[in-house]
Amino acid sequence: MTYSIIARCPRTGRFGVGSTTFSMACGRRNESVRPNVGVSKSQAFYLRYVDPLALNMLAQGYTPQHIVRTLEADDPDFDYRQFGIIDRENNVVAHTGPGCGKWAGHTVGPYYAAYGNGLAGPQTVAGIVSGFLKHPDAPLEDRLLQALEGGRDAGGQASKGVPRPERSAWIRVVDQLDHPEVDVRVDLHDKTVAELRRVLEEFKRYRDYYKARCAHPSEAIPEEEFAAKLDAKAA
Amino acid sequence: MTYSIVARCPRTGQLGIGIASYSMAIGLYCDGAVRANTGATLTQGFPNPRNNYLAINLLALGRTAGQALTELIGNDRHSEYRQIALVDRDNNAVAHSGANLRKWAGHRIGNACVAFGDGLAGQQVVDAMAEAFEAAAPAGLDEQLLAALEAGRDAGGIAGAKGRLTERSAAMIVWGNRTHNEVDLRVDLHDRAINELRRIYVDYKPSIAYYEERARNPRNAIPAMEFADMLKNQRQKETA
Repeated sequence: MTYSIIARCPRTGRFGVGSTTFSMACGRRNESVRPNVGVSKSQAFYLRYVDPLALNMLAQGYTPQHIVRTLEADDPDFDYRQFGIIDRENNVVAHTGPGCGKWAGHTVGPYYAAYGNGLAGPQTVAGIVSGFLKHPDAPLEDRLLQALEGGRDAGGQASKGVPRPERSAWIRVVDQLDHPEVDVRVDLHDKTVAELRRVLEEFKRYRDYYKARCAHPSEAIPEEEFAAKLDAKAA
Repeated sequence: MTYSIVARCPRTGQLGIGIASYSMAIGLYCDGAVRANTGATLTQGFPNPRNNYLAINLLALGRTAGQALTELIGNDRHSEYRQIALVDRDNNAVAHSGANLRKWAGHRIGNACVAFGDGLAGQQVVDAMAEAFEAAAPAGLDEQLLAALEAGRDAGGIAGAKGRLTERSAAMIVWGNRTHNEVDLRVDLHDRAINELRRIYVDYKPSIAYYEERARNPRNAIPAMEFADMLKNQRQKETA
């Protein structure tokens, strides 16, 4: 019971993932995104070692298509796995095994994949894609969040026809450096996608300040002063 | 404006960090801070976002925590603005609190752990963290990390120019011997981030084994909703 979008920004080459689920703390899966390598995000009955393995193979030079075959050959329960992989050349694959439960499925685009399981229906994945494509010139983190909002607004998750809440959500975007550009999380919340919007919007107000504070510490003003200035500006 | 604990469990070999800050989404800056069988590290104060990766890479090369710390200081012209802690797989624990950090800033080195922070109410914050960490040893590393954060909060926590500032974000990370974390929980923006981290941890802890088992044995897995309901019922019975 999860839906996700993985993407490589066609303008900047940045990689990102957005994910939301009934389970808690989905953002703990931060092994799924690696700068200058790609994204491999598995879900449904996922094995944690799969994403690091897939990314190691991408780093070796294998294509996502080949990696899928390798994973399948090594996994008697492959039918229960769902995942998407994207590399630096915009090769994208997705897999939804028939054991992932109803409704489960994916859509693969030219530089992204949207997929989920335990969903209300194909309309959830369609909502993710249309949210993602709504503002193609926006920064990747904004597009990922709009994708999650699109999935939620299209019906999100359901089990036996009953809607099921998203309790955790996560967006991570990496550029060329080791550390993520954006990594915001909500680990347990009743309206987790809306809360993720609140956290991301607040983070965007602070991002440049945090960057400057790291790079030029002798010029940094205290954070509570910066926060007071932000509040004064908003008032 | 931040206080943390960086530690290795001498019993299990688990490595982990716990952190709380006035800054939001502090967990973002903990990326790369822990690697299985290698070490745990954090750089805070005015952090240098490259440091976690460099520190862990140095430990992976075979450098000791002390040697790696010397390298980190030598590599950074702003090292007097950084606060750095490392623990390696031999339980060596080291720290550096630069002269230009916000006061009060400092660290306390314990048994395979470092409690440290800047912009704090005083020395009593890191002392309380280290003592709570060691007192909670029988409960395991994740409980120890949380206990240390709670003790730091209760000892006065973060102090700005006009008095106490709240912890707005918090995070805890624990690695075992796998290629991924065992526990990685975050609170990115909250009025009482450490209380919220505790709430999430209490709910999350029983599900770790469930998700592992579900992946290994998907054909017989209980649905996630059912499992969550079972937990809820069990908790209601316990509190009844």
